[in-house]
Amino acid sequence: MRKGIAILVSVLCLIALAATTATAQAKFGLNDIPTIKNKKALNLIIETGENHTKAIPAIQEFTKKTGVQVNVERVASSGVYGKENVELMAGTGFYDLVYVETAWTTEWSDYLYPLMDLAKKYDPKKEAGLKADLAFMSPSILVCGQAYGQQMVLPFYTFDMVMWIRQDVYDDPTEKANYKAKYGAELKAPTTLDELHKQAAFFTRKKGGKLKGKPLAHDLYGLSMQAGAYQTNDETSARLWGMGSDWVTVVRDSSGKIKEFVITKANKQALKDAITEYKMDLQWDSPGALTANFDFVVAQMGNGNAIICPTIWANCTTWANGILQEKVPGGKIGMYPTVGGHPYTGAWSYGVSKKTKNPEAAYWLVRWIASYDCAKIVFNDVGLPPGRIDVLEDPEIHTPAKYYPLGMVADYHINIWKATAKDVGNYWYFNTKAGGKVYDMQIYAVSKALTGEQTIDQVVAEITRQTLDLTTKFDKKYKIREEK
Amino acid sequence: MSSQTLPRKPSIWETLTSEKNFKWTLLIPLLLLLAIFMLYPLLYSFYFSFHDWGMQGAPTFSGLNNLRQLVNDRGFLLAFGRTLEVLVICIAVEVLLGLALAMMWNREFPGQNIVRGLALLPLLVAPLILSLLWNFMMDFDFGMFNQILQAVGLKKVYWWTPKMALYTICAITIWQWLPFSVFVLLAGLKGLPKDVFEAAKVDGARGWYTFRRLTLPMLTPLIMIIIVLRSMWLIRLFDPLFGTTRGGVNTELLDWITYRTAFVMFDIGYGSAMAIVSWAFTMILCMLMFRQLMKALKPKE
Repeated sequence: MRKGIAILVSVLCLIALAATTATAQAKFGLNDIPTIKNKKALNLIIETGENHTKAIPAIQEFTKKTGVQVNVERVASSGVYGKENVELMAGTGFYDLVYVETAWTTEWSDYLYPLMDLAKKYDPKKEAGLKADLAFMSPSILVCGQAYGQQMVLPFYTFDMVMWIRQDVYDDPTEKANYKAKYGAELKAPTTLDELHKQAAFFTRKKGGKLKGKPLAHDLYGLSMQAGAYQTNDETSARLWGMGSDWVTVVRDSSGKIKEFVITKANKQALKDAITEYKMDLQWDSPGALTANFDFVVAQMGNGNAIICPTIWANCTTWANGILQEKVPGGKIGMYPTVGGHPYTGAWSYGVSKKTKNPEAAYWLVRWIASYDCAKIVFNDVGLPPGRIDVLEDPEIHTPAKYYPLGMVADYHINIWKATAKDVGNYWYFNTKAGGKVYDMQIYAVSKALTGEQTIDQVVAEITRQTLDLTTKFDKKYKIREEK
Repeated sequence: MSSQTLPRKPSIWETLTSEKNFKWTLLIPLLLLLAIFMLYPLLYSFYFSFHDWGMQGAPTFSGLNNLRQLVNDRGFLLAFGRTLEVLVICIAVEVLLGLALAMMWNREFPGQNIVRGLALLPLLVAPLILSLLWNFMMDFDFGMFNQILQAVGLKKVYWWTPKMALYTICAITIWQWLPFSVFVLLAGLKGLPKDVFEAAKVDGARGWYTFRRLTLPMLTPLIMIIIVLRSMWLIRLFDPLFGTTRGGVNTELLDWITYRTAFVMFDIGYGSAMAIVSWAFTMILCMLMFRQLMKALKPKE
């Protein structure tokens, strides 16, 4: 009997060990890359910024393993589209790995290899090898990197938007009591526009006023937003999607296939409402917001100048927190979904150019960048959240010592992906070839409404006109029309 | 029977280096460069201005559609108007202030070399770097200027309000290019003939009269040169916007909207139409000014 139990326990242990080993082996790593005979160097872009610089050594591990040189070009995020689009259109093959913002994936799909095709050609495990690794990634982020059902790119880091609040302020008994006295409600992270506006007004204070019972050495703003001619459209998307609408409606047939795109009356009204709300929020923001990019918002939060950032990218959290810890002792950032719960989502990803002179090495480099080991380095050392759920679920970052901020950032992403997964695939950006062109047009159009250069009605009409024009010109696959 | 030798046909080299042709031969390298880097792109843009093309597939002929669209494009017309405004403001300030400074520095004074050397510095900085630096300095919350203002008890200024932003752009470009006007005019002042002024002094001419009747007419050709060159550069003003507003807050100018249309939205046809209109405007303006310059250079009877 005892002998039988001992044998059973041993077998069970062996099974458990085999399962663990199998799970560990399923995670792709550098050792899984076969010998690459073609040693032609690869060119890729990494964004400028100190944080991104820290990611370069992780990428250089690929060179140590394979002997294939990786040349990194530093380009500001606002300049990537222009730089790469020219090379792609001209077919130069200059960038072997193409750095892709989610909204450009479908547009550039003709210039990129479907990754499954490369897996079939170069991976010893064929498509199964790639699929096994994809199983650890966020399904909604993967959808963003698909075009017409094919996986074109893999995520480097994600840029889901988030709402930041100064959690220490929200937890302060004095502030809680004052808010309740004024508004008759508990002070908690806003979930509606009305709550957001009340809290923005509540926290906008002049120098000399008080915060947490202490006098302010500077003006305090309830909100901080990036309302310059940069990514005003992402902030607008968060508002639109939060209202359950979109820039354009993707109309599908009964089988789920896309029939056409329609700018409905509801879309136009929602856009008008979104821009109106955005413009209204500016009264509680610094005047500097009108020329601001995300670095300004990070600086505002980090220096304790603002209390709420209603729409900012979650990947900036560790950066802002680093400044906050230095400038505001006791300061703490809280992460919450943007109002409406459908923030702008996506990832900066890498795909393989069809004109690359080294497709095999390019495929493996994309796999490495999106791998568990590389993504873990990028998250832990650089603070950029990957598209990999396994990295975000790492128990090490969920210990009390490490939870703030990495664990908090991880949990935010896991939860927001779950909440938005069913909607992401139907957002218009991710289904059209005109995504990149329209995206850039929107930036300037929306900013004109915010600065008062044009009225909101004029801007909505202009965005409608240009969306129709650009989509007709650049997306030959689906027709677009306006509902009159 | 007498033999007659026919004149030998000169070789190509001999033709090119002959006294008659040599001056044109020396121009060939320049003409080649102009043809490759100016004429070819110009003709290329001209061609595409009559087409629709987004760098995908073949261009589609669209006739005058792009130009028709331009005439009704509010954004383009506003950018055009702003460019004219920037032109007038910058040239007026640079010429007037440049002349004033040149007149002040047209004498020996202690530290003159240091002052003049420092004055040259803005011209030595790359325009894009300068615009990034100004952007940081003028930031409402973190910028150096507002911190100084607060330190002396004054209110912070928002340099980028929709009403003020264009003038801030003008200030940045004037700050960089004013030394150009100053030094061209200073060189001009130094080169003026002293005997004419001495004669005028003997006749009792002083101050404003001398300036108006002697100095200014003699400096007119240089002033016209400054106006022609600066006009051409200001119509193409781009760098101050790239590092600051990026065309937002009512600062979008001709070059910026052209760049955005052609190289951000890759609407090459429409962008080319904008570029051609911009080029035509520059040519007309410069031709008019050049005529005035030639008049000014003509010796007066």
